[in-house]
Amino acid sequence: MTRIGTALKWLLLVWMAVVIWAAFMWVPSASGFKGESSRIVFFHVPTAWVATLAFLVSCVASVMYLKRRSPQDDNRAAVSAGLGLVFAVLATVTGAIFAKIMWGAYWNWDPRQTSITILLLIYAAYFALRGAVPDPEKRATLAAVYSILAFVTVPFLMFVVPRIYWSLHPDVITNPDPDNRLDSAHLRVLLASLAGFTGLYVWLYTLGSRIEAIRHRRRQEVL
Amino acid sequence: MSRWLAEVLAVAGKDLRTEFRTRVALNALALFALTTLAAVSYTIGPYRLSAEDRPFLLSVLLWIVIFFAALAGLDRSFVKEEESHTAGLLRLAAAPTVVWAGKLVYNLVLILVLMAILAPLFCVLMGFEIVMPWRFVAVLAAGGFGLAVTTTIVAAIIAQAMTRGALFSVLSLPLLLPLLIFLIQGTTAVSTGDLATWSASLRAVLSMAGVMTVVSALLFPVVWRD
Repeated sequence: MTRIGTALKWLLLVWMAVVIWAAFMWVPSASGFKGESSRIVFFHVPTAWVATLAFLVSCVASVMYLKRRSPQDDNRAAVSAGLGLVFAVLATVTGAIFAKIMWGAYWNWDPRQTSITILLLIYAAYFALRGAVPDPEKRATLAAVYSILAFVTVPFLMFVVPRIYWSLHPDVITNPDPDNRLDSAHLRVLLASLAGFTGLYVWLYTLGSRIEAIRHRRRQEVL
Repeated sequence: MSRWLAEVLAVAGKDLRTEFRTRVALNALALFALTTLAAVSYTIGPYRLSAEDRPFLLSVLLWIVIFFAALAGLDRSFVKEEESHTAGLLRLAAAPTVVWAGKLVYNLVLILVLMAILAPLFCVLMGFEIVMPWRFVAVLAAGGFGLAVTTTIVAAIIAQAMTRGALFSVLSLPLLLPLLIFLIQGTTAVSTGDLATWSASLRAVLSMAGVMTVVSALLFPVVWRD
């Protein structure tokens, strides 16, 4: 098991290195974008995807906690929400850099930027709630409930707000215009990058869960 | 079903009766709203904004006043049960869904009373012209329902935590912000007479409030149990 784990870690290192190389060197710069700014898509989209995935995992772990009442599930939900916050910040920063180059300002409250800001606030509030409840069991229950409530708003922020309001954000996935699709080289690197970032998330998530499990065990031993 | 409804109304009636004896939450809501309205009206008044900015800016101000007033008063619904140590008795006396629905009705009544006072006053003081008054009432009612649903479940959560006052705003506002965006859009539309935007934003508000209702009805027994 540990040998496979080590091999996977090395594979991830090589994979990410190849993705970074391909994103900067192999893919030609896309037309219609200023300078080399289109290359940020290979990092912006995967971080946004991983943030969504992490929030989904946190929500699922919260549901599992309410069903099974195992402290492990609470730890998983907290670890995944923390990772989701980190990746959401990365997506925001990469998006802001792209916005500065393409549209002239880091921040203009585009609907996408609004949505991600609200998401960041929600999950920051999740950790504020965790900090405010001293009893571990009660903390786990209340945090699980809030995490599920928070995830309910995610589809509205991701899909409804950008549809109702006019947005500058490039819309590649649901774009009906065939001329505006990614060409095959871009698509290949983007998919590879998505796979790499997902792998990175899985690794960080298992690492975080293991640390939390050890911490939990230590606390049990001390008490 | 009718028995369930009678129990819900009993819980809501009990809360409203105790509320009208002390008027803690109502005073907090109404005075917060009135002082904010006075500050806004004094600094901006009916003539300061240019005509094309009016519908949007005035909708923003109206909803900000309503939201912050709601955050100042609506956390009382569960906190007061914990403070007066009556939560245990309520747990024994009524089923969790009954308590949830009763508190929801109570919060809804408070917020609707607030809106009934505040919205006309705001329109008069700020010179806010509404082209479609009944559709404006629909936006207010839908917004009040969304606000009441969200604040009810968050109030139940924070009643179990420490540092309740600050935590209530911190937990509620992010959940309410999407609702706020749609409500401002809908209110701007009733002021300019834009029917398509009105219906789109009203549908968004109603679907969000509906999802919140279902999810919090399912989750409330978990929060309330211990």
